[in-house]
Amino acid sequence: MGVYRCIDNTLLPVLKTGLTPSASGSAYLELSPSAYTNETSPSLVPSSPALKLTCTVHGPRPLPRSAPFTPQIQLSTHIKFAPFAARQRRGYIRDASERDLAVHLETAIRGIIIGTRWPKSTVEVVITVLEGEEDRWWGEESRGGTTGVGNVGGWGMMNVLAGCITVASAAIADAGIDCLDLVSGGVAAIVKSPQSGKKLPDGDTDMAGIEENNQWQLVLDPAPSEHQEICAACVVGYLSARDEITELWLRGNIPGTTKSPTNNSQPQMAGVGELVDKAVEAAVAVRLVLGEAVREAAELKVGQNSGDR
Amino acid sequence: MAAAKTPNPAASPPSLSFPRATFAKLSPHPFLLAHLQPSTPDTPVRRPNGRAPSQFRVPQKHAGSLSHASGSAVVRLGDTAVVCGVRGEILLASNVGSGAGNDSDGEVQALGLLVPNVELSTGCSPAHLPGQPPSPLAQTLASRLQTLLHTANLIGADELRITYTPPVAVSDDDAGASGESPATAVAPKKEEVKAWWTLYIDVLFISLDGNPFDSAWASILAALADTRLPHAYWDPDRSCILCDDAIANSRSLRMQKLPVASTFAVYSTKHGAGRRGGEEDSNAGAGAPSKWALADPDAFEEGLCRESLTVVVDCLEGAAPTIVMLEKHGGAAVGGGEIKELIRMSTERWRVWRDLLKGNP
Repeated sequence: MGVYRCIDNTLLPVLKTGLTPSASGSAYLELSPSAYTNETSPSLVPSSPALKLTCTVHGPRPLPRSAPFTPQIQLSTHIKFAPFAARQRRGYIRDASERDLAVHLETAIRGIIIGTRWPKSTVEVVITVLEGEEDRWWGEESRGGTTGVGNVGGWGMMNVLAGCITVASAAIADAGIDCLDLVSGGVAAIVKSPQSGKKLPDGDTDMAGIEENNQWQLVLDPAPSEHQEICAACVVGYLSARDEITELWLRGNIPGTTKSPTNNSQPQMAGVGELVDKAVEAAVAVRLVLGEAVREAAELKVGQNSGDR
Repeated sequence: MAAAKTPNPAASPPSLSFPRATFAKLSPHPFLLAHLQPSTPDTPVRRPNGRAPSQFRVPQKHAGSLSHASGSAVVRLGDTAVVCGVRGEILLASNVGSGAGNDSDGEVQALGLLVPNVELSTGCSPAHLPGQPPSPLAQTLASRLQTLLHTANLIGADELRITYTPPVAVSDDDAGASGESPATAVAPKKEEVKAWWTLYIDVLFISLDGNPFDSAWASILAALADTRLPHAYWDPDRSCILCDDAIANSRSLRMQKLPVASTFAVYSTKHGAGRRGGEEDSNAGAGAPSKWALADPDAFEEGLCRESLTVVVDCLEGAAPTIVMLEKHGGAAVGGGEIKELIRMSTERWRVWRDLLKGNP
C-alpha cells in the first residue's frame, strides 16, 4: 500500500472553470494526493502534496497597431510557480524551468487552436502553480537520513506539465476560442519496484524488454515523491477525438535496452511505444473529466443567457 | 435627464434600450449616477452590483490548504480571491551584524523578519498581465501592506526568536562558594538569541474585482493565524539550528491584535460625472455636489471614484476601538463628520471579520 498512486488507472483531477470573472476564460485544477494519505500525520513534513493550478486566458485581443501583420493568432504562455509551491522556496522571477514548461505548453495548445480565425490578434494563457508535485524521492530525508537519495530530480515537472495542458485546454474552451478538440495531458513512467522479486499484476508484465527484469514497473501518473527511482517518464498532450498527439516529452532511459548494444534499436522502440501508449491512456482518462467540466460550464452559460432573455 | 436614462429594461421599449453591461461600458459615470440617484424618492439607493452604499461583501475563508507553506489561507470577497502563503525560514544570528537584535522594539523591522510580497501578475485581471513591469498598484499595495504589518505590531519579536540557554557550568559552584553567589545565580539564566524565524508572506491574487487591500490584508491575517512553526532549537554539539517535525511540538503564532481594514470609495458628482457626462453636470451642479461613500468597492466603482479612504481598526474586547491606520487620498469630498461615520461602519465590519477569522459563531 501507499507506494503507488495507481497502477492500472490514473488518478482523476478535479477541474472547475470560470473562477476569474474578469478574464476571458479561467480554470482551476486540483489533483489530490492518493487516497492512501492519512490526514492525521504527526509530522509537519507533507507526505504527498497535491497539484493545484489556476489558469486564466486573456483574449483574443487585437494586437497594437505598431505590430506587424500576423495571419494567425499570436499565442503566449506564462507559467509561474508560487513562492510556496514547492519544498524549496521559489524566486519571484520566472526561472529557466518555468520558461521551459511554458514552451512545452505552447506547443501542446498551439495544435488545437484554429489560429487563422483571428488574424492580427493575440491571446495570453497564464498559469499559476499554487502547489506543485515533488521533484524526487525525499523519503529518507524526512526521517533525517541522507540528502538526495536516488537519482536526479525534475520528475515533478512532468506532472505539472500534464496538469497545465489539461487546465489550459479547459480555460481556452471557457474563453470560447475555437478549437479542433480538447487536449488533455497524461503522464506515464517506468519506476523501480520496491519489491524487486515480486511478481507484478497481470497486464503490466507485457512490456518488451522488461519482462526479464521484474524490478521495473510501468505506472500511470506517477508521484515522484513515492518512488525511490524513476528511470523514464513521458508526457503527452493528446486529442482523443482525433487521435493525435500535439506534445510529446520523454525523459530518461528505458531499462533493459541499453545493456545490449548490438541490436538495441528494436526493443528500445518497443519500450518507448509502450510508454507513450500508457501516457495516452492516462490522457484519455483525464479527458473524461475535462469534457465533463467544459460541458457543465457550457450548460451553465447557456442557461444564463436564456434566463436573461 | 438622469432619470430618463435609468436602465430599466422592463419599462423602456426593447428597440431603444441597451443591455446593462453595454450601458455601463459606454457611459460609466451616468450609469453609476443613475443607480445612486433613483428617480423616485422612495426607491432605495442601490449600487450597480445590487448592494446598498454602506454594504460590504460577505467574506469567505479557507485556511490550511497548501501543504508546503507553514500557514496558508484563501480569502474570497465577492469576485476577488486571494491566496496567501506564509513560510518560515531561519535567519542565523551569526549572519546578522552585532547589536542588531538588542532592542526588542524595532527588531522585527530592522532585521526584516516579515517579508510581504504581492503578486498581481497572475492573470487575475486583464490590467495585470505577466511579462510587464509591476504595475503602480502592485508596488503601492506591497508597500502599504508592509507598513501596516510593522505599525500594527502584529507579531512580537519574541515570537520569532530562537533562543538557547547555556547549561550551568560546573565550575560555577566553586565560584559561589567564594562569596559571589548572587552574580552566578543570574548568569546561567541568560538566554542567547541564536536565530530568528523570518516569515515570507506571499500574497497571490487569483481573481481581482476591486478592493485589493482589504482582501490581501485579511488573507495575511488568516494565513498568519493558520501558521505553525516547528519547534526549533540550538544544538550546541553540532552548532546549528535543528527543527522538530512533530506537529505536537510545533507552535502557532500568538497574535493579540486583530486589525481589520475597511476601504471606502467616494463618488462625487463634482469630480465624477461632472467631468465627463456633460448633461448630468448641469443637473447635479445646480446645488452642492452630491457624494456617496461606497463600502468595499468593486472594480467598476474603483475605476470611477477618485477618492478613497481606508480605515484599519482594532476593537479589542471591552475596549474602545483603536484606529491603527487611516488613509485618505484623491480628493476632499469627505469631511470630518463623514469620516467619523465611516469609522463607525468599520468597527461594525470588524465584528464580521472577527467572526470569520477567529471562527466565532
